[in-house]
Amino acid sequence: MLLFADHHEQGRRLPAAAIQALPGRIRGCERWLLALPLLWITCQPLGAQAPPADDVKPVPLLTGSAGFITTFDGGETHLGPIVTPVVLLPLGQRWLFEARGNFESDLVAVPGQSGFHGSVEKSVDYAQLDFIANPYITVTLGRFLTPFNIYNERLYPVWIRDLQTDPLILPIGVGPSNASNGAMVRGGFKAHPAFDFDLNYAVYFSTLNSTEYIDSARFAGGRAGIFIPKTRLEFGGSFQHSLEEGRSNSFGFHAIWEPIALPLEIRAEYARSLQGSGYWAEAAYRLGQFPYLEKQLRRTQIVGRMQQSLVGASPSTSLFPTNMKMFEVGLNYYFIDGFKGVASYGREFSGDGNKNVWTLGVTYRFVIPLGNAWGN
Amino acid sequence: MQRGAIPLCLLGACVCLAISAIAQERQNSLPAAPASSAAVPVPTGNASSATHSSAIPSHPSGGEEVESALRIEGEKRFRTNCGRCHMAPHKFPPRVMATAIRHMRVRATLTDEDMRLILHYMTQ
Repeated sequence: MLLFADHHEQGRRLPAAAIQALPGRIRGCERWLLALPLLWITCQPLGAQAPPADDVKPVPLLTGSAGFITTFDGGETHLGPIVTPVVLLPLGQRWLFEARGNFESDLVAVPGQSGFHGSVEKSVDYAQLDFIANPYITVTLGRFLTPFNIYNERLYPVWIRDLQTDPLILPIGVGPSNASNGAMVRGGFKAHPAFDFDLNYAVYFSTLNSTEYIDSARFAGGRAGIFIPKTRLEFGGSFQHSLEEGRSNSFGFHAIWEPIALPLEIRAEYARSLQGSGYWAEAAYRLGQFPYLEKQLRRTQIVGRMQQSLVGASPSTSLFPTNMKMFEVGLNYYFIDGFKGVASYGREFSGDGNKNVWTLGVTYRFVIPLGNAWGN
Repeated sequence: MQRGAIPLCLLGACVCLAISAIAQERQNSLPAAPASSAAVPVPTGNASSATHSSAIPSHPSGGEEVESALRIEGEKRFRTNCGRCHMAPHKFPPRVMATAIRHMRVRATLTDEDMRLILHYMTQ
């Protein structure tokens, strides 16, 4: 972090032309115009789009995460092994096929029997084909994680999330299995050379599918966000319109802030729909600034999260049936890159009664190249 | 009519974008025209002009300066962007990193510029 801080000021002096030396730069005026998808279509004869960085040829990957989370939920013990393999298959310079499966179990003690029992739940989280059309547009077809707020798409894997319990409002706006079957257009780009912030967006349409493991609902929606690198602040909003019975709308807001001066992450989401509404706000702090036990403490992270969910006018089975509040604190220890131990305590307050929720476990992220990882 | 308007519009936009993108891909796959293959000017240091593949390593004085600046900027972008969601990972082999950054380009909507700088930094 200190090394980065030293470099930060120097990095600001980077001449713009140096970045332009990278392949495929586009002049500022064209970039702004091309940001609009419709104009992009009309501007393509300009031939200003850039080929992707092709100095290094990508290799297919088998990656993903595995974990074993033990949850003590109101006195009942749950053992939760989980494996989520991800296959990344780059095709040519602009295509990428990516798929993620999910295998997890919730093992509980059954009265009268010894040991823990449960079945393995299987699902295809996403299986999508991405086409990186140009610096502004990526077209995705297939099954993809619904881009409603950010948790589902970016923070869900067990090796990424700071607390292992799902936010109460996670089911809002993401569909029956957190994924959509259909098409999506998305992208991220610098707003304008004169403004130091990035814009990102996603627009999607999902069809109704009741097939086991790959089910989805029929809806359309979008998400837009702004990221300000200078302050490391990102915020945005999501909207979704259901195209099934009721034709209700859902919307949400998200924010991420990482202060440059502190190893602190602050994240928050709000979501509202006919089925319910709520929020969560989370802060995670790396203990890297203490002068003693530096090696150990910089691997340690403390987390706190407050969240609340409210039942809506048309309650859904995917959301909790009563209003609920929950406060959690957690401790993560990063043994090595991608391998961490997690522990947390939470107190749940609901109309059905209050209870404690403890978690304890380990998570691991693996990366296995399916080919020569070093050569060209 | 109104019931199907939104999905039809979105579907139509997706189809148009896909067709247009494929057409553009074909256009880009054709042999480069002289105008489009012209060198990108690099007014830094002694460098006058160069393409990306040759600019960074082939300029003894200006090239090193540019290389250093790209590396610093790449590290900055790496920490700024990757750290938004997860702990910034250690370096992977170059071809692994090329795949991972393409995945992140889609997943985290990294900008094209960020992707290139991070990939450049992570593969040095």
